[in-house]
Amino acid sequence: MFKKLLLVTVVLALAIPLAIPVTAQDDKPKIGFLPGVVDPFYQVMELGINQAVKDFGLEVVTQFPESWNVTVQTPILETYIARGDLDYIIIAPVDKEQMIAPLEKALEAGIKIITVDTFLGDGDYENGLVTFPISYIGSDNVEGGRIAARALVEALGGKGKVFVENTNPGVSSVEGRAVGFQEVIAQYPEMEFVGMEYCLDDATIAAEQVSAVLQREPELAGIFGVNVFSAQGAGNAVKAAGLQGAVQIVSYDATKDAMENLRNDVVTMVLAQKPYDMGYLAVAFAMADWRGVTSLPKRVTTGFAILTKENMDDPEYARFIYQVP
Amino acid sequence: MEPLLSVRNLTKRFGGLVAVNQVSMDVHPGEVVGLVGDNGAGKSTLIKMISGVYQPNEGEIYFDGKLAHIANPSQARDMGIETIYQDLALAGNLDMSANIFLGRERKKRYLGGLIRVLDEKFMLQEAQKLLQSLDVHIPSATAKIDYLSGGQRQAVAIARALYWEARLMIMDEPTNNLGVIEQAKVLDLIRRLRDQGVPVIVISHTIRDIFAVSDRIVVLHRGRKVADKRTQDTSTEEIIQYIMGARDDYHRN
Amino acid sequence: MVSEAQAPSLPATSKRRTTGQQAILLGSKIWSWLFLLMLVFYFSWQGTGFFSLRNSQNILVAIVPIVLMGLGQTFVIIAGGIDLSVGWLMGLSSVISALVIREEYNAGVAPWLAIIQGLLAGVGVALAAGLINGVIVAKLRVPPFIVTLGVSFVARGIGFLLAKGNIIAGQPQLARDLGNESLLYYVRGEGGGWYFLKKPDVTGAQLRMMDRVFTWPVVITFIVVLVAIFILHKTQFGRHTYAIGGNREAALRAGVPVDRHVILLYMMSAGTAGLAGVMHAWRFSGGAADAGDALLMMSIAAVVIGGVSLFGGQGRVIGTVIGALILAVLQTGLIMINVKTFYQYVIVGIIVILAVLMDQARDLIVGRAEAAA
Repeated sequence: MFKKLLLVTVVLALAIPLAIPVTAQDDKPKIGFLPGVVDPFYQVMELGINQAVKDFGLEVVTQFPESWNVTVQTPILETYIARGDLDYIIIAPVDKEQMIAPLEKALEAGIKIITVDTFLGDGDYENGLVTFPISYIGSDNVEGGRIAARALVEALGGKGKVFVENTNPGVSSVEGRAVGFQEVIAQYPEMEFVGMEYCLDDATIAAEQVSAVLQREPELAGIFGVNVFSAQGAGNAVKAAGLQGAVQIVSYDATKDAMENLRNDVVTMVLAQKPYDMGYLAVAFAMADWRGVTSLPKRVTTGFAILTKENMDDPEYARFIYQVP
Repeated sequence: MEPLLSVRNLTKRFGGLVAVNQVSMDVHPGEVVGLVGDNGAGKSTLIKMISGVYQPNEGEIYFDGKLAHIANPSQARDMGIETIYQDLALAGNLDMSANIFLGRERKKRYLGGLIRVLDEKFMLQEAQKLLQSLDVHIPSATAKIDYLSGGQRQAVAIARALYWEARLMIMDEPTNNLGVIEQAKVLDLIRRLRDQGVPVIVISHTIRDIFAVSDRIVVLHRGRKVADKRTQDTSTEEIIQYIMGARDDYHRN
Repeated sequence: MVSEAQAPSLPATSKRRTTGQQAILLGSKIWSWLFLLMLVFYFSWQGTGFFSLRNSQNILVAIVPIVLMGLGQTFVIIAGGIDLSVGWLMGLSSVISALVIREEYNAGVAPWLAIIQGLLAGVGVALAAGLINGVIVAKLRVPPFIVTLGVSFVARGIGFLLAKGNIIAGQPQLARDLGNESLLYYVRGEGGGWYFLKKPDVTGAQLRMMDRVFTWPVVITFIVVLVAIFILHKTQFGRHTYAIGGNREAALRAGVPVDRHVILLYMMSAGTAGLAGVMHAWRFSGGAADAGDALLMMSIAAVVIGGVSLFGGQGRVIGTVIGALILAVLQTGLIMINVKTFYQYVIVGIIVILAVLMDQARDLIVGRAEAAA
């Protein structure tokens, strides 16, 4: 009996329709930030967000998903919507297809969307598959892939076998990097692309996969690690095999770990993205939209800093290293 | 009176070991037979042949006057031979009526038998009636078996066998691990079964219990039957001598 | 009626429980309800927008896969097993269902028909995997932990292979509607109200006043929960599930077809996971091999918090639902009060252990006291 009573109470508590009117809006927008996963890249982005929020005198709600998965990111997104007090959501969608439907619900609830680092659909918010976000602010990842490939080609003297360590399928950012990379490699007849593996954003898995590939391809000359975790795993595998210098690595994301690898000649070149800029700009865009600015660009690429052993201590470059307090 | 169970020259060998050697015995309706013997005397092997767990190498089993080939335990159960082992085979997480009806649940049918729902009320009533007829009182009929005493569990196991029309009951060490009062109660249950016409074979190490409950005592020693006596015609001392091998009614050295 | 006084009644082992024992018994039964209520009250008081129709619906949507995977798991664990394959089976089912829907739809089959085919294919594959789990566990006596872990890896690999390491997109609008539209709609404010089975014709700013109440996956899950409650608590099948978990040998001797039953249990478990996968593909308009990766441990946590004993023989379906609700309420609540959701895992970890301790305390203090009397 007691249990039934409790059941009824719980059901009521969960189901009573509370027609809370949307609270009177003051003149400042409230922002929700939802990165893809907890890692140094997004933590630096959060620094940019927080700085901008402070500069504009706004409020922000931030939650980091513990793993890269739509089933982890979506419940957080839906709770952001249910809060009822957010005007903008700055999000790095963890899947370009699967996150469309959940984000459309945010739109319906009157929340505007800015995507950072990753985009929805084909990323063309003017005429593409998905046009509802205000803007995509991130790296030109295809170009980033090309830069990485050219760096490898140069380091290898235009010939050799190369491999890509990727993170997750269906993610616009890393997909673009792989596309750009392969495009350039294909232009060199003596360069051979020997494959790509997905580590699902887990550095341990990345290390295992790269170790196996090193076994399979004794002549492997170069590896492209497409993000924090893939690069970290690739570096560890190459170090474990005692092949630093013999196998060239180029990687995305200037983490401290990557810098150490750069200093120790495990990694040849690191493409530092500008997550701080992405975060800051996204908030600035939100503020601008709030103030009625209508000509915001649909796509903003924040560019790269190319870090090498030679320039990594130069303050001009060192400021792009991901420093998380 | 015709014996209900008649065992003739039953022999069971395990490799070189003869566990049961040319044993014959009868069990008549309305009697309790105490089966005693030292460890390894062959008691368990004998009842396992009767309950279909083992197949004899030689000899025959007659049940109800007819030659019976008991290929497995469920065949024995179908014939009405119920065996209650020491572990009682009860599901501790279920209550008494669930255990009594386990595997043979009574169901209510809806939509022409498409939907079948457990008839809890019927099963509970039947279980309570049954236990009353055995003069057993379990205060909380829906308590899990785990929460019942050893004697109450024994009673549930007996009730289950009885409900499914046991014609012969075999009980292995029914008073083991019970308190004194509960032992008395279980022995009382065995007498009650006999009075309802169900013969019982009781295996026990406790000679006192055997004397308290049995009408006849069969003693095994090293696989052979060495004594088969009416309880009232013998004494504890005598039976102990048979168990030790100091006496033997069937084989002269 | 035989009175206790004159009958040679068995010793009064079932003597009245002490107040302390009764408190523990009651506590072990209702603590999860109380905990859930407490969370709801706390977050309603502290959190922005927690106590709202929309959020109540969020919570229901969020528990769909956890509950579905937890349901089959509840049966399997009650029978003394465990099924670690449901996470990746959910992903595999979502991939297969999305593949079938896409191919059929592209070949010109009507969307509703393609969706039904996708449903059958997704759940069918899961059932086949469950059959494999069950047969190996029941007939070959391999510990379920190992078997289902193995099948889980196989499902994971096949999922990624079929999807070619990608996401299976290209789903018809109808599939997306099934995953996201609802039985009821509520429009707040003037001219609003309830809409049944019909999406209100609102646009623009008014859209933000519209809440979807009971989306289709929630409705389907609700029905599956009812069926599971019926099967576990009202039928012979449910009774045998408990018996196998309580004393497998006893069930066997009582004539319960134990092997067949165990096989069916693993099929149920895989089947509900498959359904979760199919609905994932609807909701996110695509199949992903790793759809259930993050959910397996959550679903097992929900089952354990709900009071299902990992030693088998005990638990209820509603407990698993409560367990899942606790997880979802915690997650959304923490976001509402703007606390890092990582605390969720700390809290969940603690309550999982508390739940098991509570079970053991009950068995030790209440059970032993009665048995030993």
